[in-house]
Amino acid sequence: VNMICVCSFSAKIAAGAVVCVESEIRGDVTIGARTVVHPKARIIAEAGPIIIGEGNLIEEQALIINSYPENIMPDTEGVEPKTMTIGTNNVFEVGCADLGRNVILTSGCIIGACCQINTCEAVPENTVVYGSNCIRRVQSEKPQPQTLQLDFLMKILPNYHHLKKTVKGNSTPV
Amino acid sequence: MDGCGSFTVHHKRPPFSSAVRLFQAASGDIKTSSAVSVAPDSASLCGEMASLLQPDRAVYLVRGEKKIRAPLSQLYFCRYCSELRSLECVSHEVDSHYCPSCLENMPSAEAKLKKNRCANCFDCPCCMHTLSTRATNIPAPLPDDPTKTAMKKAYYLACGFCRWTSRDVGMADKSVASGGWQEPENPHTQRINKLIEYYQQLAHREKQERDRKKLARRRQCMPLAFSEKYGLGTRLQRQRSGAPISSLAGLSLKEGEDQKEITIEPAQALDEVEPLPEDCYTRPVSLPEVTTLRQRLLQPDFQPAGASQLHPRHKHLLMKRSLRCRKCEHNLSKPEFNPTSIKFKIQLVAVSYIPEVRIMSIPNLRYMKESQVLLTLTNPVENITHVTLAACEEEDPDDINSTAKVIVPTKELVLAGKDAAAEYDELAEPQDFQDDPDVVAFRKSNKIGFFIKVIPQKEEDADVTVSFKIRHDFRNLAAPIRPTEEGAETTAEAIWLTHHVELRLGPLAP
Repeated sequence: VNMICVCSFSAKIAAGAVVCVESEIRGDVTIGARTVVHPKARIIAEAGPIIIGEGNLIEEQALIINSYPENIMPDTEGVEPKTMTIGTNNVFEVGCADLGRNVILTSGCIIGACCQINTCEAVPENTVVYGSNCIRRVQSEKPQPQTLQLDFLMKILPNYHHLKKTVKGNSTPV
Repeated sequence: MDGCGSFTVHHKRPPFSSAVRLFQAASGDIKTSSAVSVAPDSASLCGEMASLLQPDRAVYLVRGEKKIRAPLSQLYFCRYCSELRSLECVSHEVDSHYCPSCLENMPSAEAKLKKNRCANCFDCPCCMHTLSTRATNIPAPLPDDPTKTAMKKAYYLACGFCRWTSRDVGMADKSVASGGWQEPENPHTQRINKLIEYYQQLAHREKQERDRKKLARRRQCMPLAFSEKYGLGTRLQRQRSGAPISSLAGLSLKEGEDQKEITIEPAQALDEVEPLPEDCYTRPVSLPEVTTLRQRLLQPDFQPAGASQLHPRHKHLLMKRSLRCRKCEHNLSKPEFNPTSIKFKIQLVAVSYIPEVRIMSIPNLRYMKESQVLLTLTNPVENITHVTLAACEEEDPDDINSTAKVIVPTKELVLAGKDAAAEYDELAEPQDFQDDPDVVAFRKSNKIGFFIKVIPQKEEDADVTVSFKIRHDFRNLAAPIRPTEEGAETTAEAIWLTHHVELRLGPLAP
């Protein structure tokens, strides 16, 4: 997929990922192949790098932030940058927020619209988080087939949005 | 194994189901103010202004069996009795049943047979959202040639909100889009049906005996409700004593039918109870597998403790209801029969007959200091209305909530009629009402703004409340107009109505 070059330093975007320019990516972020990041999504690696795996779908106004723990100031010594890992085939629906450095999302998880995860845990596979105010979980049997959505978005999004440059791709301006 | 195709099958779904919510709002169902959450940074001035317009700041008193205070938008007006009515002093009657997702109408008898559930639509057992049917292509062997495989469509139910699917509980995919899904059968159905039959027969027999006694003694000592013990309460039974009682709809025995004796065995108490499993205390609880109380109680037949036994149920029907004044038996609200329509055949709501008082702006209120509060008064009818305000008297039994003294304008306020075409008519001269600028702040078509003076009487008041009486003239168009002798134009007689209004003005300024 040819991209228009808008460089974002220290964001490593693998080939085959579709990341829209209107999304805000700050800090050391690695995005795997076949991941789609919608416009107005925000991925902020403040206190450490964020590694996002393959086949993820991050929708509008979703917020993935690796932030400092509450009581520790940014320039205190001895705070090691902790990597936040997001596995494969996860879906972050509109307006959700994945905060905190101690959350590890495995694969096949779906964070529903306007839900927040700011607990210190490794979210098990195939978890669905949904519901207003109270966050409920349902273990579904299999991860939802996102392949269809991902293929569709990969074809359609470049028609309407400018995309961020990959590390290895050519910077051919359209 | 899933193929690559997956799409949703819709059951003739109309564009939006917010029509249902609009109807509920119109019939006064929504009691509390809206639950819209405003982001903290934008809640400043616009939030305060919006909170003054909240409907429950200005309430009207309804003098029914109970004294009820409710905003005008939730009240009805019986123009035959010329009184305000609230939802609690009218009788509610079921008009029609319909399914909220497929908007299909269902006659009452059929609804009763199907236990008030839709035949086509299902509810997610996990989050109670409506389930949608999805289809996948699976390779299946052709019936005539087992070696070749062709793509066949298999359907399953899925929830768009919580991602529950019918495969989670082990329900196999069906080959037809609709109609293939069965609810699990209740193991106690037979016993329950037998009990119901027995008690219906018993009730019928008792009713017959009572009727016979009643005709014989010609005394109406027993309230009518007793005769119809296990039946539905209808309006006829409640109000007209002496009238013939309508039988149980549909399911009763007919007169003259061979009344066979139905006997039931009494329930047996068992000594032995199924023991708890061995690892009941030691097995770690898997929280996602445990059902919530709400999920469990929505399936009262089984009440499963495990999420893997939560089967989808058919969707509950909603009903449209009509309201009737209890005194004069006239309909106050009658919706249209069509489920997709939100209009009413009869809609006697209070806002279209009674002038409405609303708070416009409140200055800082201070203890024992007089402040001017700006209110608006809107005229809903098309003819000119004259309104007089009066403060409540000293020992007014209705005046229980007020915490401040109020001085209302003594002069009569004149409201222009509501004219829908006024904004388009540029040549129309504005009527000159000669308003006193001390009393009337502004005038805009059928609305005026006027001042009242408020003196808070309580020191630490969290919600300053004032009350006063509003008296206006009302032309009763429903009453029959007697023709005058000269045949001149007959205007309806104006009667004067008085209402008690209470306003909540908020806390004292710090």
